[in-house]
Amino acid sequence: MSVTSTARPAPATRRAAAPPAALTGGLRRTANSTPGRLGLAMVGLVVLSLLTGVIGLLAVQGKASTLDDLTARREPFSAAAQQMYRSLSDADATAASAFLSSAVTPPALRARYQTDVRQAGAALAIAATDVEGVADAARPLAQLSTGIPVYTGLVERASANNALGFPIGSAYLREADHLMQATLLPAAQALYAVDTQRVEQAQDDATSFPWAATVLVVVLLAALVVTQRYVRKRTNRVINVGLLVATVAVAVAVLWSATGLVLETVHVSHARSAGSAPADTLAQARTKALQARTDEMLTLVARGGQDYNQPFQTLTRAIGGTDGSGGLLGQVRAGSSDSVLNGQVDQASAAAKSWFALHNQATGANKSGDYQTAVGITLGTGGAGKPDEAAQFDKVDNALAKAINQARTVFADQTGTAGGWLTALPVGVLVLLVLAAAGAAIGLWQRLREYR
Amino acid sequence: MIPRKRARLALGVALLAVLATGCAANSGPVNLADTGPAQAPLPGGVLIGKAALPPEPGPTPNCANPTASLRPPASLPAPGHMPAGSTMARIQQRGYLIAGVDQNTYLFGYRNPTTNNLEGFDIQMVRDVAAAIFGDPNKVVFKAITSAQRIPVLQQHQVDLVARTFTISCARLQQVAFSTVYFQAQRQVLVRADSTARGIQDLGGKRVCATIGSDSLAPTPGEAHPPVPVAVNDWSDCLVMLQQGQVSGVSTDNTILAGMEAQDPNTKIVGGSIAPEPYGLAFPKDDRDFVSFVNGVLQRLRTDGGWDSAYRTWVGGHLGAVPRPPAPTYSN
Repeated sequence: MSVTSTARPAPATRRAAAPPAALTGGLRRTANSTPGRLGLAMVGLVVLSLLTGVIGLLAVQGKASTLDDLTARREPFSAAAQQMYRSLSDADATAASAFLSSAVTPPALRARYQTDVRQAGAALAIAATDVEGVADAARPLAQLSTGIPVYTGLVERASANNALGFPIGSAYLREADHLMQATLLPAAQALYAVDTQRVEQAQDDATSFPWAATVLVVVLLAALVVTQRYVRKRTNRVINVGLLVATVAVAVAVLWSATGLVLETVHVSHARSAGSAPADTLAQARTKALQARTDEMLTLVARGGQDYNQPFQTLTRAIGGTDGSGGLLGQVRAGSSDSVLNGQVDQASAAAKSWFALHNQATGANKSGDYQTAVGITLGTGGAGKPDEAAQFDKVDNALAKAINQARTVFADQTGTAGGWLTALPVGVLVLLVLAAAGAAIGLWQRLREYR
Repeated sequence: MIPRKRARLALGVALLAVLATGCAANSGPVNLADTGPAQAPLPGGVLIGKAALPPEPGPTPNCANPTASLRPPASLPAPGHMPAGSTMARIQQRGYLIAGVDQNTYLFGYRNPTTNNLEGFDIQMVRDVAAAIFGDPNKVVFKAITSAQRIPVLQQHQVDLVARTFTISCARLQQVAFSTVYFQAQRQVLVRADSTARGIQDLGGKRVCATIGSDSLAPTPGEAHPPVPVAVNDWSDCLVMLQQGQVSGVSTDNTILAGMEAQDPNTKIVGGSIAPEPYGLAFPKDDRDFVSFVNGVLQRLRTDGGWDSAYRTWVGGHLGAVPRPPAPTYSN
């Protein structure tokens, strides 16, 4: 990955320490005569041009492949980690709600749970292809891939006992929930954090300033100017065509690179501010919404034994502030000018507002002793036309999923456009600098021939 | 001489190099993921070993007759007409009774998954109290609590009463008030059906499970080789750990153990009674009028066949024929 120059100082030092007299004497003699100087300038310019060409090629090529990696690997892995978190968290909330609804799991909830587990497995398979040499990601991945089968085993054991009417079913469900909340979800969260950080790292790499190539090109241009002034003084010719071609080639390369890289940086920055950054904020909101939904279920499962209402309130305030339009959602809304994204965020805010209101209604019912009504509101099993919290929560989750998808689309578009500006640049830089080397060589060779 | 030495040295170095290469090549196949033996997950909040022991009890308070409770009034007020200013009147005004119960203990207090309702012997007692106050056994808000929460919820007046396989003891009488004994249980041990243990004495050094805050884990004084205590939140967590092979036995009342045996035929109750466990309904310490009122309700259940019918419905078939209801003793 790193493009460090492989300079070997050792031989040079040794030569400097004990310079053979013949070599230094020869160099001094060469540098003292005009043809000698022209020859040295020719060699120097050719080497410098070719070196600049190669370093420039590597710098631009590095950025181009970083951008390819961003769209093809980094961002999809981060999205897969987010998907896994969502699926696992939803599976846990669904298992709890199936437990609350009846002894035999309703088919719709069963299907939802199975889809969640399937999605988590698929996302895990994608994430698992990417841990080579990343210890921070390997550990959570190992926890997830060994823990998910155990979790599903516990849920099945719970539902078998539940079907028989045995309360030990709920004990297995609590154990499964504990495994999910204490081990699996933190692991998925850690994986997402690692992947998101790697996206940001790649974005930093793609927008970093190409110092080495810049320094070389400045030196090369200066050398070309100095050489041309020297040639004009010595030969009384105003224009040396070869050197002029070389200078123009380098200037074109500089202009092209500067334009390409500035445009690339602008698009990568936009991909971050309007793509991956809001996607990350929305993912946080979605995660908190899922946690809040799980807390609601656990409040009913615990049946007054433990208070999950306080964490619910804290989470929902973080998502949408006091009225559904503040918090993380408000933050995304304020920073975005994308109409599609904003439309989805507004929908999520509106649904979140009704969700929170229904939650308060259910909490009120539960506190006044009407447990069955509270379950009916929370699960949406009260019948047609009755308050349905589950539907509102699903609306929030779906709107957030669409908003995240829109942000991802913006990210992919902008990153792709950024990469487009670099498509021909590496080859262009190399060709132009080879042209510069050829121009310098030919231009000075013609002058040198006059000394024969 | 010298060249020879050098040659030998060179040969030695060459040999070493060959050996070193050989060693490097023989490092074996690449290690696969090191997972170690699989371990079943644990229930949340489990405590094992010293941490599971109940806090060191202070000097055990002595009381002559812990099961003696307050005498009931000569006649119970009619449902819906509680005497003004009484604890019952306050409950009646609120519109529902608040009861701390268990939702995980099969037969005594558990959630029926089919109906989502709480059922069991303890729940039946609560409904009978509600019926005596309101004339309606359903005017109850159940609050599911753990063993450890039984005393705090009463002290903080979060509930009107606790009906949760709660053994009357002198130490607990310092903190809460109890009704007369409504069920006489015995502490025993549950093990897997294939276990050779014949009682708690055979489980020395093995892990034995009980809930946090229950008496069952207190070490017996003078016991040479005590079991390793494991404490969990709910009794059903103990059965989970027994099924997962994480504990060798569960030590608690035969009532709770019978419920576990009913859920898992691969377990058995062994040994004689370790200690008698008289159950009482528990109240905040100063609600004396309510204790006396509920003792009246219990006395009526003992005489009108209500107790027998509750026993038959919830416990019969698991703990043998219907015994006589425990006789009340009164302190005043």
